[in-house]
Amino acid sequence: MIFVLMMAIPLCGALALMAPPARFLPGDAAVRRFGAAISGATLLVAVSALTAFDYGATSTVQLEIDRAWAPAIDLRFHLGVDGISLPLVALTALLTFLCFLYTLKHPPAGGRIRLLTALLLVLEVGLLGTFTALDLILFFVFFEVVLIPMYVVIILWGGPGRRAAAYKFILYTLLGSGLLLAGMLLVGVTAGTLDMTELAARHGSGVTRGVQITAFALMGLGFAVKAPMWPLHTWLPDAHTEAPTVGSVLLAGVLLKMGTYGLIRVALPLAPEGAEFWAPWLGLLAVIGIIYGSLACLAQRDLKRMIAYSSVGHMGFVLLGIATLTPVGVNAALFGNIAHGLITGLLFFLAGAVKDRWGTTDLTALGGGLLGTAPRLASLLTFASIASLGLPGLAGFWGEMLALLGAYRPHADLPRETFVTFMVVAAIGAVLTAAYFLRLLATLTHGRADGVTARRPVTPAPEGSAPPLPEGSAAPAGTEPEASPAHAPAREAAITLPEYAAWTPLIALTLLVGLWPKTLLDVTTAPVRALFGGG
Amino acid sequence: MDLYVPIIVLGVLAFAFAAGSVAMAAVTGPKRWNRAKLEAYECGIEPTPQPVGGGRFPIKYYLTAMLFIVFDIEIIFLYPWAVAFDRLGIFGLVEMVLFILTVLVAYAYIWRRGGLEWD
Amino acid sequence: MTSHVSAALAPGGDIPAPHIEYGQIMPILLVLGVAVAGVLVEAFVGRTWRYTVQVPLAFLGLAGGFAWTIVLGLRDETHAVAAEGALGVDGPTLFLQGTILILALVSLLLIADRGTGSFAAQAAALPGSEAEQRTTAAGIIQTEVFPLLMFAVGGMLIFPASNDLLTMFVGLEVMSLPLYLLCGLARRRRLLSQEAAVKYFLLGSFSSAFFLYGIALLYGYAGSVKLGDIAAEAGRDAGSETLLLGGIALLALGLLFKLGAVPFHMWKPDVYQGAPTPITALMASCTLVSAFGAMLRVFFVAFENLTWEWRPAMWGVSIITMIAGAVIAITQTDIKRMLAYSSIAHAGFLLTGVIATSREGLSSTLFYLAAYGFTTVGAFAVVTTVRDAGGEAGHLSRWAGLGKRSPLIAGVFAFFLLAFAGIPLTSGFTGKFAVFKAAVEADATPLVVVGVISSAIAAFFYVRVIVVMFFSEPEADGPTVVVSPATAAAVVLGLAATVVLGVLPQPVLDLAGHAATQMFVR
Repeated sequence: MIFVLMMAIPLCGALALMAPPARFLPGDAAVRRFGAAISGATLLVAVSALTAFDYGATSTVQLEIDRAWAPAIDLRFHLGVDGISLPLVALTALLTFLCFLYTLKHPPAGGRIRLLTALLLVLEVGLLGTFTALDLILFFVFFEVVLIPMYVVIILWGGPGRRAAAYKFILYTLLGSGLLLAGMLLVGVTAGTLDMTELAARHGSGVTRGVQITAFALMGLGFAVKAPMWPLHTWLPDAHTEAPTVGSVLLAGVLLKMGTYGLIRVALPLAPEGAEFWAPWLGLLAVIGIIYGSLACLAQRDLKRMIAYSSVGHMGFVLLGIATLTPVGVNAALFGNIAHGLITGLLFFLAGAVKDRWGTTDLTALGGGLLGTAPRLASLLTFASIASLGLPGLAGFWGEMLALLGAYRPHADLPRETFVTFMVVAAIGAVLTAAYFLRLLATLTHGRADGVTARRPVTPAPEGSAPPLPEGSAAPAGTEPEASPAHAPAREAAITLPEYAAWTPLIALTLLVGLWPKTLLDVTTAPVRALFGGG
Repeated sequence: MDLYVPIIVLGVLAFAFAAGSVAMAAVTGPKRWNRAKLEAYECGIEPTPQPVGGGRFPIKYYLTAMLFIVFDIEIIFLYPWAVAFDRLGIFGLVEMVLFILTVLVAYAYIWRRGGLEWD
Repeated sequence: MTSHVSAALAPGGDIPAPHIEYGQIMPILLVLGVAVAGVLVEAFVGRTWRYTVQVPLAFLGLAGGFAWTIVLGLRDETHAVAAEGALGVDGPTLFLQGTILILALVSLLLIADRGTGSFAAQAAALPGSEAEQRTTAAGIIQTEVFPLLMFAVGGMLIFPASNDLLTMFVGLEVMSLPLYLLCGLARRRRLLSQEAAVKYFLLGSFSSAFFLYGIALLYGYAGSVKLGDIAAEAGRDAGSETLLLGGIALLALGLLFKLGAVPFHMWKPDVYQGAPTPITALMASCTLVSAFGAMLRVFFVAFENLTWEWRPAMWGVSIITMIAGAVIAITQTDIKRMLAYSSIAHAGFLLTGVIATSREGLSSTLFYLAAYGFTTVGAFAVVTTVRDAGGEAGHLSRWAGLGKRSPLIAGVFAFFLLAFAGIPLTSGFTGKFAVFKAAVEADATPLVVVGVISSAIAAFFYVRVIVVMFFSEPEADGPTVVVSPATAAAVVLGLAATVVLGVLPQPVLDLAGHAATQMFVR
C-alpha cells in the first residue's frame, strides 16, 4: 500500500494544479512551494518505505500490493520492491525533491511554472511506477507515462534546437517501447503469465530458445534506446543540451536508468537463453559506447553536451556489466546506475548554475579561471568531475571497477577471450574518461579568466528583465540600479541557499556510497544472485 | 502459398499483354489525322451543336425514369403474388401491403415535394 | 433445397409462411421504420416544423433500438438465427449493433447541430448559383439528412448481422446508398463535397460489383449463399477450388474496400475530407464498425476452415495497410485527410485481430472497434468546432497556436490524438494491446512487430499536430472556436469513453468477451 500512497501524492498534486490558477495557488512562487512540498512528502513516504524494508530478505519482493485491474487483458496492479529496485525508488524520490528545491529560487527560463510543476510530478509518478511495477503491462504503462511529460518539458523549456530534439526523443523512445511491448507480449503469451515475479522465478523455462532470442532482441532494443546504447544514443545529447536544468537532471539521473533497470528486471530473467545469445553483442556495443562517448566528449565545446556524451560512456559500463551475465557484473550495473544518477545529476545542476550565471555553457565562451572568479562553484565542479571520472573513494569508481571485474570473469557459457578484450578496451575508455574530464577542468577552472566568467555574471534573472548592459556602455544613471539589482559580483557568483540544499545530499551520498560501497552492494547482491537462480 | 502461384502468373501475363498491346499500337500503328475523326459520332447525322456548359438534361427526366422503374418493379413483384395469393395466405397479404406502402411513402414524398410538377 | 421449393409450388399446396422472430430483429425494424416515418414527415410536415419533428424522431429511433439491443443482450439465449437463417442474432451481432447505435446517437448530436450548419440548404442548387444564395439566405435547413441517416444506420445494423451473403449484400447497399448522398451535402466547399460523393459512389459501386461477383462464385462452389453451408462445403474439401478461391478473393475485396484497407483505400481521404464533418464522423465510426463486423462474420464463419488460404493474403494487406496508413499520414496537411489516413492505419491494426481467428481475436477486435469509434467521433466533433470565415479550418497551419486560443479544445484534441497513438491509460492502448496480444497468441508476432513500428510512425504525426497546436505562434486572423451544446455533448461523450475505456476497461472488455464466448451463430 505504501507505494500506492507514494504515487498518489504526486499524482494528486499534478491533478490539483489543473485547477484554475485564480482559485488555487495563484502566483508562481506558491506553485513552486507547492511542488517542493508535494515532492517532499513523496520523499518522506519513500524514506518510510526504506525503513519498512526488511534488509534481511532483500531478494524477496516486499511491501507488495496485488490487485486485478483489467483481468480480461491480464492487467494487474502489482507493485512491490526488492533490493534491485529499492535504491532506484529512493533515488527517484530524492532527485525529484532536489529538483523542486532547486526551482524554488531558480525557475527555468520560459515561465509556465505551473505546467512545469505538474509535468515533473507526473514524471515522478511514471518513474516510481516503472521501478515498482511487477506486472509486465503495468511496467509498460508506467514506462510510457514518462514519455509525454518529458517531451513537453524538452519542447517548452528547451533551448533553440528543442523542436528537433523533442522529435528525436519521442520517435526513438516510441519506437523502442513499441518493440518492447512486442517482446514482452511474446514472452508473456508463450509462458502464459504476465506476472514478473512468477516469470522471473521460472528462469525462462517453458519458453523455447528461438522465442527467447527474438524476445530478448525486441525488449533489448526497447531498453537500449532508453539506456541509451550506442548506436541508438543520438537522441540523448540533443535532448540534454536543450532541456532545462531540472529536466536534464531527471533525464540523466533517473530516466536513463529505466533502460538498464528494464534490462536487468525484465529482459534478463524472462529470456535468459536469449540474453546468453545476445550478450557478446551487447558487450560489444557497450564497449563501443564507452569509447565513442569518451571520444565524443573530447570533441565537445559545450558543457551540457559534454556531460550528455559522458552519460553514453557511463551507461556503456553499466551495459557491459549486464552483458557479463554474472552477479558481479549485474551488481556493478546496479551500482553504476545509482552512482551515475547521483554524480551526473550533480554535474547537470552545476552546468545549470553556470548557465544561470553567465548565460552560456559554451566552453570557449566561458573561458578559464573559474577557480578565481567563482571559487566555490569551481570546486564543486571539480569534485563532481573527478567523481565522474571514477576516482577511487567516490561513487563512480565502484561501478566501473566491478564492471571490468565482471568482464574479466564472465558467465561460464560466454566466450571469455571476447570479454577480456572488452575489458581491456573498456579500461582504455576509462582512461579517456579521465582525459576529457581533466581537459574540462583545465580549460574551465584553471588558467586565465579570459571569457565571460571574468565579467560580472548575470543573476538568475526573472523573466522579462533587461539583458545585462555591455561593459562601458553609457547607461542612463537613473535606470542602472533597476536594470541590475545592487548585488556585488562576488555575491552573485556565490552559491545560493537552495543550490546548496539541492547539491549537498548528492555530494554526501557520492561520498558515502564511494567510501562504503557495502551499504549499497548489501542491498543488491542477494536479489541479483536470485536473478541467476542462486540462493 | 502454392495456391497463389497461378494467380500471380496470370496477373503478370495479363499485365504484360495489356502493356504490350498499348505499346505495340503506339509504335506500329499509322497516324493520320483529319477533322472528321475528331468529331463526335451521332448515328451518322451531322452533330448538333451542344449548348454551353456541356448540355444539361433537366433533372425531371431522371425523376420520371426513376419513378417508372420503381413502379415497374412493383408490378414485377405484384404479379407472382397475384397468381398465388391464395396459397401464400395472410402472411403474403401483409407482406405485400407493407411493400406497397413503402413504395407509396416514396411516392407521397415525391408528390408532396413537387417532384411531379413539370415546371 | 430444390425439392423443398418444388414441393411448395405443387398445385394446391399451401406455401408455408416464413417464421420471423420479430423480437430479435426489432432494432433493425425500428430504425428502418423510423426512416420511413422520416420520409413521411418530409412529405407532410410544413417546412418550419420539420427539424423539430425529425430530430426527436431520429433520436428516439436510435435510442429505442439501443435499448432493445440491451434487452436482447440481457436475456440469456442470445444465440439464435432469425428470419429463416437470414440474420444471426448472437453475441457479436448484439455488441456490434449496440456499438453502432450508440455511436450513431453521438453522431446524431453533431448532425442535428444547427449552430455549425454543416449541410447545404438545398443540395440540388448548383454551387455558386443564384438558387444557392437564395436558399441559403432563406435559412432553409436540410432535414432529409435524418431519414437518410436512419436508412444508413439500418443498413449498418443488417450488414454485420447477416447470416447469408445475399442479405449481407442488401445490408451493404442499404448502408452505402444513403451515405453516398450524405457525402455530397456539405454546406461549404460544395464542389469538393460533390466530387467526394461521386468518387465514393463510383468506387463503391465497383466494390459492390466485386462483392456480388464473389457471392456468385461462392454460390457456384457451395450451392448456397448461407455462410454455414459454405463452411460445410469447404470443410468437405469438395468442389472447384478455383470458384472458391476466386469467390473468397472478390468477397474480401468488397469488404476490404468498405473498411478502407490498402490497396482499396483510395476513396477514404477524399471522401473523409469532402463529406460534411458530422457525416465523416458517422462513416469513420459506425461504417467501420459495421464493415468489420461483416468481415469478422464472413471470415470466422464461412472461411473458418480455409485460414491457410486467406491468411497469407490478409497478412500482406494488414502489413501494407498499417505501414501505408501511417507513412502517408505524415505528409498530410489537412486535418480531416490526416484523420482519414489514421483511420486506414487503424483498419490495419484491427485486421491483426481478424487474422488471429480466435475467440480472443474476436473479443479484442470488438473492444477495439468500440474504443476507436468513440475516440474518432470525438475527434471529428472537435474538428467541427474550429471555424474560419469560410467554415471549418481544415488546414493544419490554421490550427497553429490553438492551444493558446482555446486550451480546453486543443487539450481534448491532443488527448484524442494520444489515444489514436495508443499511449497507455487511453482506450487506444487497451484496444491495441488486446488486439496485439491476440495476434501474438495466434503466432502472428511479425505482424505485431510491424504494428508497433507503424504505430510509432503514426504517433509521429499525431505529435506533430500537438506541436502545431500548442507550440506554434497563433496567426493573427486564426480560426475561432465555436462550441454549441450538442457538439460539446458529443465531445464530452467521446472523451469520457476514451478515458474510461483506458483506465477502467474491464466492464467493456467483459462485455466484449462475453459477446464472443460462443463466437458466431451459423
